[in-house]
This record gives sequence, structure tokens and C-alpha cells, in this order.
Amino acid sequence: MDTKAMKIKVAKLSWLVANPYAIVASSILTIFLACAAFSSWLAPYPKEGAGAPNVAHTLIGPSRLHLLGTDELGRDLLSRIIFGARPALLTSLTVVGTAALVGTLLGLIAGFRGGLIDAAVMRLSELFLSFPPLLLSLVAVSLLGPGLRNALIALIVSWWPWYARLIRNESRSIKSQPFVEIAQAMGVSSWKIMTRHLLRNITSSLIVQIAADLGTVILAAGSLAFIGLGAQPPSSDWGLMVAQGRTVIFDQWWISTFAGLAIFIVVLAFNLLGDELRDYLDPRKRAK
Amino acid sequence: MIRLLWKRLTSASLVLLAASFFTFILARIVPSDPALAYVGPKSTAADEVRIRTMLGLDQPIPVQYFKYLKDVISGNWGYSLSTKQPVLHEIANRLPPTIELIAVAVGFAIIFGLIFGMLAARFPHSVGAALIRVLSIAGISVPAFWLGLLLQLLFVGRLGWFPATGEFDLDIKFTNPIHHITGFPLFDAAITGNWVAVTSGLQHIVLPALTLAAYSFGLIARMSRANLLEVFSQDYIKVARAYGVSERVVLFKLALKNAIPPVITVTGLSTAYLITGTFFVEQVYNWPGIGGFAANALISVDYPAIMGITLLGAAGYLTINFIVDLILTKIDPRIEA
Amino acid sequence: MRTIENLKSSKSKLLAIIASLALGATALLVPQAASAATVLKVATSAAVTTWDPFQSFSTEAFYMTNIYEPLLWKNADGDTPEYSPGIASSWSSSADGKTWTFKIRSGATFHDGTVVDAAAVKASLEQSKANGGAGFIWDPVKTFAAPSADTLVMNLSYAAPMDLIASSTYGAWIVSPKALAAVLKDAKYFESGVDGGTGPYAIQSYKAGSEVVLATYAKYWGAKPAYGIVDTLITSDGITAQQMMTSGQVDWATNIPLTSIPTLKKNSKYLVKVYKSPFNYVGYFNTLRAPLNNPAVRKALSMAIPYADIVSIGGQGFGTQARGPVPAGIYPYSSTTPQYKKALATAKTLLARAGVKDLHIKITYASENSAEARFVPLIQSSFASIGVTADVQAILFNQQWSAAKKDPANAQDLFIVKYWPTYSDAGVDNLYSLFHSSAKPFFNLSYWKNTQYDSLIDDAIVLSGSDKAGAQKLYSQAMQILYDQAPGVYLYDEAQVSVVPKKLSIPKYNINYPFSAFFAGIKAN
Repeated sequence: MDTKAMKIKVAKLSWLVANPYAIVASSILTIFLACAAFSSWLAPYPKEGAGAPNVAHTLIGPSRLHLLGTDELGRDLLSRIIFGARPALLTSLTVVGTAALVGTLLGLIAGFRGGLIDAAVMRLSELFLSFPPLLLSLVAVSLLGPGLRNALIALIVSWWPWYARLIRNESRSIKSQPFVEIAQAMGVSSWKIMTRHLLRNITSSLIVQIAADLGTVILAAGSLAFIGLGAQPPSSDWGLMVAQGRTVIFDQWWISTFAGLAIFIVVLAFNLLGDELRDYLDPRKRAK
Repeated sequence: MIRLLWKRLTSASLVLLAASFFTFILARIVPSDPALAYVGPKSTAADEVRIRTMLGLDQPIPVQYFKYLKDVISGNWGYSLSTKQPVLHEIANRLPPTIELIAVAVGFAIIFGLIFGMLAARFPHSVGAALIRVLSIAGISVPAFWLGLLLQLLFVGRLGWFPATGEFDLDIKFTNPIHHITGFPLFDAAITGNWVAVTSGLQHIVLPALTLAAYSFGLIARMSRANLLEVFSQDYIKVARAYGVSERVVLFKLALKNAIPPVITVTGLSTAYLITGTFFVEQVYNWPGIGGFAANALISVDYPAIMGITLLGAAGYLTINFIVDLILTKIDPRIEA
Repeated sequence: MRTIENLKSSKSKLLAIIASLALGATALLVPQAASAATVLKVATSAAVTTWDPFQSFSTEAFYMTNIYEPLLWKNADGDTPEYSPGIASSWSSSADGKTWTFKIRSGATFHDGTVVDAAAVKASLEQSKANGGAGFIWDPVKTFAAPSADTLVMNLSYAAPMDLIASSTYGAWIVSPKALAAVLKDAKYFESGVDGGTGPYAIQSYKAGSEVVLATYAKYWGAKPAYGIVDTLITSDGITAQQMMTSGQVDWATNIPLTSIPTLKKNSKYLVKVYKSPFNYVGYFNTLRAPLNNPAVRKALSMAIPYADIVSIGGQGFGTQARGPVPAGIYPYSSTTPQYKKALATAKTLLARAGVKDLHIKITYASENSAEARFVPLIQSSFASIGVTADVQAILFNQQWSAAKKDPANAQDLFIVKYWPTYSDAGVDNLYSLFHSSAKPFFNLSYWKNTQYDSLIDDAIVLSGSDKAGAQKLYSQAMQILYDQAPGVYLYDEAQVSVVPKKLSIPKYNINYPFSAFFAGIKAN
């Protein structure tokens, strides 16, 4: 198994080099990660990026001093957008991470144990999946009270069932394969089987799903913030910035335009990468 | 067919029951006081007590829930806190413009999605195919609210090609009133030959429908490209081509027929996405539909309206899925749900 | 205008389709109807929270002033005489201010045809007084009497300025006896868009949350308005409303965002007019909690507020630093009430002297208020420069208010609010409601209790019914205490900015009806 993992790593590198989409996407994401990690070093005006107003410089258009212009409080928009990378990344990692963890655990248990537990977990996740996407999150945040924390909870709540279903179906199909039965017959404990065999075998589907979801969650969190249910001011959330710029969009177009562009580019990069990974990890296509 | 319907109806009622329970429980743990929301900021303590009794908020929770369930079934979905109208009445009034918007958006998405998907599959190694691929991923990556603002900025603010907001010009109501037949205003205007209203309505619907269509377009283009590519690689197509069957016949008669069912599934799925998409798009374009109403209800914690919208959303989703299944079984009788 | 036909059978449906096809065809041939010229199209943010004239306590006043009439109207700031006749043609009060007599005008009718007489007025006022909402404005009245068909007498339990109260924008509308009976039977009687008024316009159609169409009332006693129909589109979004006005979709937009004013000023098609408004921004300190229970600390924080920046960013320059919680232009405003100036060094010293270090406070404001969203970060950053860390929380006003009332000891430290008086008396309202002590907090969200202040306000309210100047003196003393003790910060008085299209002449803004537009006075130029 370990040599296989090594092979995959090497193959990954060569694949990346040969694939222009993947190169573009991962460069964008590298910049995104750099912005999130080193906001205060990269931002031209770190104090303004962190939220300090600059009353003398309100609503200046893009210029040499302020490449993307300034907002209603006179803050440099480029700095604000760079500072927005961290909340976007953290939101996305928190939601996808927790949802994947919860969903994977439940999916594994359901898939491996079967029977009543399987039925219960599957009915529950089907129930969650029978609402239009985002509707439950929107309703939950509205009723629990707008804000980043509740938005995170609401997004996790409506995201885990996807993982539970994915993992459960994958693990069911793997479970029926001979090697698992042999392990069971040899008296290996259920937990070991689950972690050793099943989890390793479903990693690739999990990776594809996570890559795509990282972007989708940024989009969802931005949408929540845009209608006033997500991150609240003075956060440097991108969706919130689009909403704030909206009141001046016809005269000071740059605020909403650039803040939304940031969301768009990052989500696009995640989706491109997810798409490429899907093609790459898809056993049918890899065979060709 | 009957079995499918029955199966769907039982699971649908379960989902709706869960939806009612979910919203009800959440609505009871709201940090803001619904009675306060009802009376508004400048009210007296006596008003609050009166409203609390009127809304039944002084009753124990289980009693409130069963009363709520009974009311929902009997068609009494409560009153919106912000507009003071019956929620069901609000929904009935606002649903038609939203359905029209979704229909036009899905129309755009299918047409452009299929054409682009077909082109990309037909010429898989061209620059165009690469562009289409990026465009379709862009479609599912673009924030609808932002796209809406950009289109407004460009086509309304800078170029002045389209009206800013709303469903019709305000004058229409006085100069060429639309006669109420089905309740769907644009449709009614068309079947009554009210071309002034139709023209105005079409001008108004283009931008919001395009905004809303982006996501579905992306999904449909991607799915139809992938499926066509797979079908093209199959032996019977190769054989047909080898026998000199014309490309048009190959594409439209042989390939498309087999590539279409997954596209229908994905169209249904993306239509379901549009349900929540309208919340953002209608707000940006001030569209007089259920989406804008929902967005306002969510922001102002208008909980009777929120509960109604959740039920409606779940019902809409179930309906779309059901329709998709019906179409699929019609197209391909082998599929049995 | 949409004709709602009840189509029962498919046959009649078919007929209807054919008929409307024919109608549609003729519509194509006929040039656009000339009647459109008398339609005024308005975009407004004014939502209708209720059509019940007694429960009305919010933005629906925008329409109410056109549909209903009070006994008297209070004229715009600075106009003489102070009042104009409404349903009452003349009025007088006894020397002690405890008996007020109103002559009811003849010839006025309700929109349902009922004649307006003293008995109808009496019934309306009594129901308003009993009915909650803004009915408390009638608290001073012991009895209403109608000794003759055209005479209404109010007997008060203590002297009160009934001319001011009777011209209130809330709770003072005169409502038809038929509607009064109907609403007693069905509390939601008005909500579908029914009215029971006497005003120049009546509700013609209402699409909840999106559109109100008003049409002139044919038998209105006064002058006929220039516009036969006013079509108002409810657009919560200012930028959308602005776009609709500049693109010609509507004639007038009443909710232009302040941030757009500079651009519209440059546009030769519009005039920008600035008026005083009754809106005032105040912040309450939580005086129950250390160290904010120390007046010196509150003073220090008051000196760390960037007043000028708040006006220039929050109000986009349209406003003035407040003098206490009474807005300029509203009684008992006094231009001699002292103000704090921003003085960071002094503030720092005061804090140090009070032994305060590393102060953490929580500021809440109403998330639906865009001006607050603009200026609260300024307060936060200014506080930071004197070593005070502020967590800012934007929540819906209702939630902010519930939390503040529920548990004062654990509530916010600074509560930012936009406030305005119910009717144009900020003594009875702002000074009393915001800072007079009460057993349970309602609008005094600084939870402050000062017996000297309480008694000054109590005395001033009673005195104002007979001696306004005398009451003003007491109020001024009370406002001096508000300055010295600083239970709150007094941020700024917001100005009303109206953008008037040059093709229209629009009556000037009336501070006494702050949410309203008077459509009857609008003419095309």
C-alpha cells in the first residue's frame, strides 16, 4: 500500500506539470493561501486591511496609491480583500472539515454495520438532502441569529449528509469485496477493518468531494453574508464587502466588483482543481 | 407509475412533517421576541402582551406545535409579521412571477448549456472546447448576487439597455393592464395578445433570468459534454461513422438520445438550486416574487413566513424530483424508480 | 387595476381568453392612453407594517397622511401659523389648558360615504385611546364629549398641549365609524389594504410588500390634487430606487442613499434640499456595570467619540453633532446645551485617573441601519486609540432591544439607537422615554436612575401644557444633568435630504410628519 501511495505522489507531480488547468488553479490557490497566511505582510495598508478607517480617503477610485480603490470608510480595498482571504479559508476549512469528519464517521459506521444503524443514518441524511441546497442553512441562521458562528453551524448541518451518503455507498461496495470478508474471517477487529481498509480505499472519492466543496462553501458563506445572515461588519468577509459596495455600485463600482471577483476566482480555482482531480482519480479514465 | 406516486407521496409527507418540526423548533429558540417583531419598535408593554396572546405564544410548546400542524394542514399558515398578510396568500401571489423567472432561466440554461456542451464534445480538442469548459465551470463558480450586480452595473447603469428592476414597466398597469387568467402575468399577457406588456416583461426578465441561469448552464454544459464524449467513444457510434452515416444523424439521432437522460437529471437538480438562487437574484432585481419575499423574511426573522417558505421549498424540491423521474421513465421505460 | 375575474367554468375561461385577445388587439391599435399623464410614480422604502390607523407606528405614515386626516395639522418647521385646520376648522383652549374645544368642519365625509360629525370624531378618538399602539398620546384626556354635531370637547386630567397631540403623526387619525366597528370584530380588517379615512386619497390597490396605488377621493372636502393616481413602488433598496428615478421608471424616489447625493447634485435634472429631521442618534452606556457606573469613565468615553467624522461618514455630511437627545428643530431643543468635543488626551487622562486599564466593552447597533454600520467602526477605532477595546455586534433592532431589556446586568455596554419622538415633543418622549427611570427597562436602556432628573422631567411635562417657556427652563436643567452625568453619548441629529426632480414641485419636508410625503401638494412643472 505504501509504495502505491508513493507512486500516486510522483504521478501527481507529473500530472500537475502536464496540466495547464491544474497549474492555473493551483497558482491561484497558492496566492490565496499566501494571502490568508501572511495578510499583514502582503497588504499594502495592513491597518486598514484589519479594519481601521481612514476618513480622509473615502471612496477613492483605483489609482497608484490604492490599486483597487478605497471603501466608504476610506480603507484600501486591496488590503481589505487580502485580509478577507483568511476568514474565507477558515470558514471553508471549518465547514468542510467538520462536515467531512462527521459524515465520514457516520457513513463508515452505517456502511460497515448495516442494519438498523444504516437505515437510521441514511433516512436522516436523506431527510436533510430533500431540501433545496442552502435552504436549511439560510433558515437556521436566520432563526438562530445572523453571524459567522451560526453560519458555520448551519453550513455544517446541511453539508454532512453528502459525505455520509458518499462514504456509506462507497464503503458498502468495498465491504462486499473478498478481502474484507477474509479479514473478518481471520478475526481482525471491526475498527481495524474500517480504518485500515475502507478508509484507505475511499480516500480518492473523499479528496475529489472535498476539493469541490472547499470552493462551494466559500460561495455559500459569501451568499449568506451578502443578504446579511453571515459574517457581520466590521469583518473583512468578501460577501459582506459586495453587499456594502452595493449602495454605491453605480458611482463607486470598484468595491462590489473586486470583492465579488475575489470570491469568483477562488471558487473557480477550487472547482477547476476538483474537476481535474476527478478526471485524474476516476479509475475508468485513469485506465485509458 | 401509481406505485411511484404513492412512494413519493409518503416520503414527501414525511419530509414536510420534518420540515415543519425543524422550523417550529428553531422558531421557538429565536433570540428575538416574535411578539416584538410583530408590534414594531415603538410599542407599549401592553401591546406586547396583547400580541403574545393573539399569536398564541403564551401556550406551552407542544400545544403550540400541534395547533400549528393542524393549521398548516387546514390551509392556515399564519400571518407574515412584516406584511400582516396570510402567508399562504403571500405565497400564492408571489409564486407565479418566480415560476416564470425560473422557467425562463431554465430555458436559457438548457439551450445554451446543450449547444455549448454539444460543440465542446463535437470538437473536443479545439480552443473553443477549452473555453467552453472554463465557461461552464465559471457558471457554477460565480456568485449569483455578484453577477446580478455586475449585469445591472453594465447593462442598466452604463449602457441603459434594460430597465433596472421589477417585472413590468409601471405604466403597463394603467395603459395596457394584464388580464388575470392563469395568474402568471407574462403568460397571461402573451395569451391575451397584450404585446406591449409582453415586450416590457421580456425586457425586464432578461437580466434576472440570465443571472439565475448561470449555475444551471454550467452544470448542463458540463454534463452534456461529458456524456456525449462517452457516447462518442462507444462502438455503435464508431460503427455508424465508419458506415458513413452523416454527422448530423450521428449527433442528433444516435448520440443525443443516449446522452440526454443524465442531462435531464442534472437539469432537475440545478432547477432545485434555483429555488434558493431566486432569494439572491430577486433581491438584487427587486423581482416581485417569492425569492425576494423569502430574503426579506429571513433577514427580518419573520418566522411564520420563514416556516411557510421552508415548507414550500421542500415541496418544490420534491415536485421537481418527481417530474424528473416521470420524464426519465417516459423517455426510457427501463428506468423504474 | 388587474381585473380579478372569478372564472368558474372552462367555457367562460375560453370566452374570457377570446375576449381578452380582442381587448389586447384593440389595445395595440389605440395609442397609449392619455390618462397616464395624471399618474405619479414614486419609489419609496416605506414598508406598510400595518394599515390599522391606530396600530400604525412606523413607516406606513408615508401613506397614512394622504389617506387620513387628524383634527389639526402641524405646519413645517418655521412656518406660521403653527397649525392648519384638518377635520377641525377651528379650536380653542381654556386658560388653565385643561379644556379644549374643537369645531368640526362641515362637508367632510369618510371614504365610505359616512358624514364626519363630532360623534364620529369622538368615537374614533375614544377607540384610539383604548386601542394600544400610539393611543397613549391621549393619556391626558379624561373624557371626550360631543355636545353638538359640530363641537368636540376634550376634558383633561392635567394640562397638556392638545393642539400638538391632536396633530400627531401616530394615533391621531380620524377613522370612519363603520371601520371602527369592523376592526373590533376582526382585528385584521384593515390589513388587506382597506381604509376608513377622510383624506384626499384612498387606497385603490395594495400588493403587500411591493406596491400601493392611491387614487383621489372624489368627494374630498378640500382642493383636488393634481395627480389622480399615485403609484408607489416599495423598494427597500435605495440604490435601486435611485436607478429607477434616473432611468425614468419612476418620477420621484424618496429614499436616495446619502452616498449618492454628491452625484445627483451634479445632475441638472434634480435639486437637493436639506431639512432638519426629528431623527437623532444616541448611545446608551450601561450604567449598571463597572466601570461604566462611574460618570468620570462615561465622560472619558464621551470625549473619545469622533463626532465630526461620524457626521461626515455616518451622515455623509448631512447632520450636526447632537446637543443631548433632543433633535434640533424639535421642542425643547436648546442651542445652549453643552456638547462634548473629541479630546483623546483628556479622555486618556480621565480614564487613568479613574483607575481604568484594559477596558473591554461591547457595542451593539441595529444591523438594518446603514448609517450606524458606517459610523460604529469609527467609534471602535477611536476607542482603540485610548486603549479601550470594543467588540461590535450588529443585530436586528428587535433582537438588540429584547436583549437589552431582558438582562441589563449582562447586556451590552454601549447601545446605539436612532430615535425620534412619537409626536413633535421631545420632552414628553425623548427626554422621558430615554433617560427617565422606570421599574422595568423599556426605552431607558442606560438603566440610569437620577431622582433629580426624574422630578425635573415630571414637572416639566405637566408645566408644558400651560407654560411652554417655563417648562423649557426645567428641560434645560435636565439636559445639563444629562451632559454632566453622561448616561449616554449624544451623537448627531440627522438631516433630511430630499432629491427633487425639477419637473415636479413638491411641498417642503415637514418635520412633524417625518416619514410622509404629501401627494396632494405635488404638481408637474
